[in-house]
Amino acid sequence: MKHLIFVIALAGAFCGVWLHAQESTPTILVSRQLAAQEGLNVGDAVELATDERGGKSVAFRIAGIYEPTPDPMRLGAVPREVRLHLPDLLALTRDESTPEGTEHVEAINVALANPEDASAFAAELNAKMPGILARTTSGAAGSGTTFVVLERFHLAIAAVTILASTVFLLALTIMLVDERREAVGMLRLIGLPARRILVQVLLEGLLIASCGAVFGLVLARGSEYLINAFFQWRYDTALVFVRVTPSVAAVCVAIAVPLGAVATVAASWALLRRSGLRLARR
Amino acid sequence: MRGNDAPETIVEAKDLTRSFAMPAGPVFAVRDVTLSIRAGEHTAITGPSGCGKSTLLHLLGCVDAPSSGTLMFEGKEASTLSDRERSLLRLRHIGFVFQRFFLLPMLTAAENVELPQAEAGVPRDERRRRSLELLDYVGLASRADHRPSQLSGGEMQRVAIARALSNRPRLLLADEPTGELDQATGEHVAALLDRVNADGTAMVIVTHDPALAVRARRVLTMRDGRITEDVSR
Repeated sequence: MKHLIFVIALAGAFCGVWLHAQESTPTILVSRQLAAQEGLNVGDAVELATDERGGKSVAFRIAGIYEPTPDPMRLGAVPREVRLHLPDLLALTRDESTPEGTEHVEAINVALANPEDASAFAAELNAKMPGILARTTSGAAGSGTTFVVLERFHLAIAAVTILASTVFLLALTIMLVDERREAVGMLRLIGLPARRILVQVLLEGLLIASCGAVFGLVLARGSEYLINAFFQWRYDTALVFVRVTPSVAAVCVAIAVPLGAVATVAASWALLRRSGLRLARR
Repeated sequence: MRGNDAPETIVEAKDLTRSFAMPAGPVFAVRDVTLSIRAGEHTAITGPSGCGKSTLLHLLGCVDAPSSGTLMFEGKEASTLSDRERSLLRLRHIGFVFQRFFLLPMLTAAENVELPQAEAGVPRDERRRRSLELLDYVGLASRADHRPSQLSGGEMQRVAIARALSNRPRLLLADEPTGELDQATGEHVAALLDRVNADGTAMVIVTHDPALAVRARRVLTMRDGRITEDVSR
């Protein structure tokens, strides 16, 4: 009996030591992509080292798996990453010659509870701490960064597309209106004033342009879903590639509807300037 | 009518001329035509192709504006009206029948007849009633809801006549109204036009068809833009 009690006590002591060891092991977060590739799960123990041979490795326990924040600048590079607590990171990466607590960092990101305070916070920090340069992320991006240039490029493409579409639309509308020349001629001959017909055409143009705009928006939403789904699958990222925002939709409608109506009226006006007789004759 | 005098003059043209500018110089389609059309009159205009019959009809109907001369419609100067004023004059006071019917294919027969009334501001119920009356008048009451593609040529021309009458015009102008119809159908349409005239509408018909011209009480013959003969029976 004494032996049994001794064995149980010994097992209990081992468990306690093991549990203590579990709790004292520093924790990390692992990116979803890395976890998927290495078959890691929450609670697994891993060892991390700063050199390729695995020297001076440190044991960590996986506390969670996270979805990395999409970064368009790293598109195509699958984020196989871990996140460490800052003291653990410093301990892991500190050079032996660097005393603890004397490490330096070049930059840190600060997330504010209210992002709208960013400018005021940066200004205050710059005033209070000479030698530190605090900038908002939008300010840090500057006006010449890749994505600002890309946005300008997209704007130029959009302008050229709209211009070309307008010419195409006008040509198409002239053809469609010309198909109705006999009907327009008849209406003019029985006594409908040109302005009356023009108003009718304008209303038709507005209706058709509105329907076209709605169709375009539905198509854009469908395309948005498909494009995002494809490229998110292709690059294994949560990055949103296309987003049809309400402001984008509003701009599209604001351009498309008046443009369609104006194209219809312009094409019709060319027709209505002719006499009813000329229109009715083939 | 003005008491016991001659019927009221609806259209009075004086020295009416219509010329078209061409590179080789102006071409005169109508030259110095003077004539009047009185209420209830049945007039035919005949002559060889290119003699200016249709141009004169279009001038009388305010479809076209003369190059010179004056045109009075019901005592008012019409030759100097703006395009919009001429349109409204046509809509309310003149009916047109064309060789090619010119019905709107997407509308039914009744809707085609309703169209000029709708533009003239006739209330919906009244114009529907009037349209059905007119279709009954031309013998097509049963085809009111048929579209032009479901009608024969003669039926389409009868719908066109009903449409021309829809705003109760005092003058009906017809340009070769039987030109696209076979002889028997043309005869029916001619009889219908006779009836329209007999019911009080003045009528001017441009035609090549002697059988149609002979029905008119007055026949104008044109040549080279001028009226060379004006015969009343």
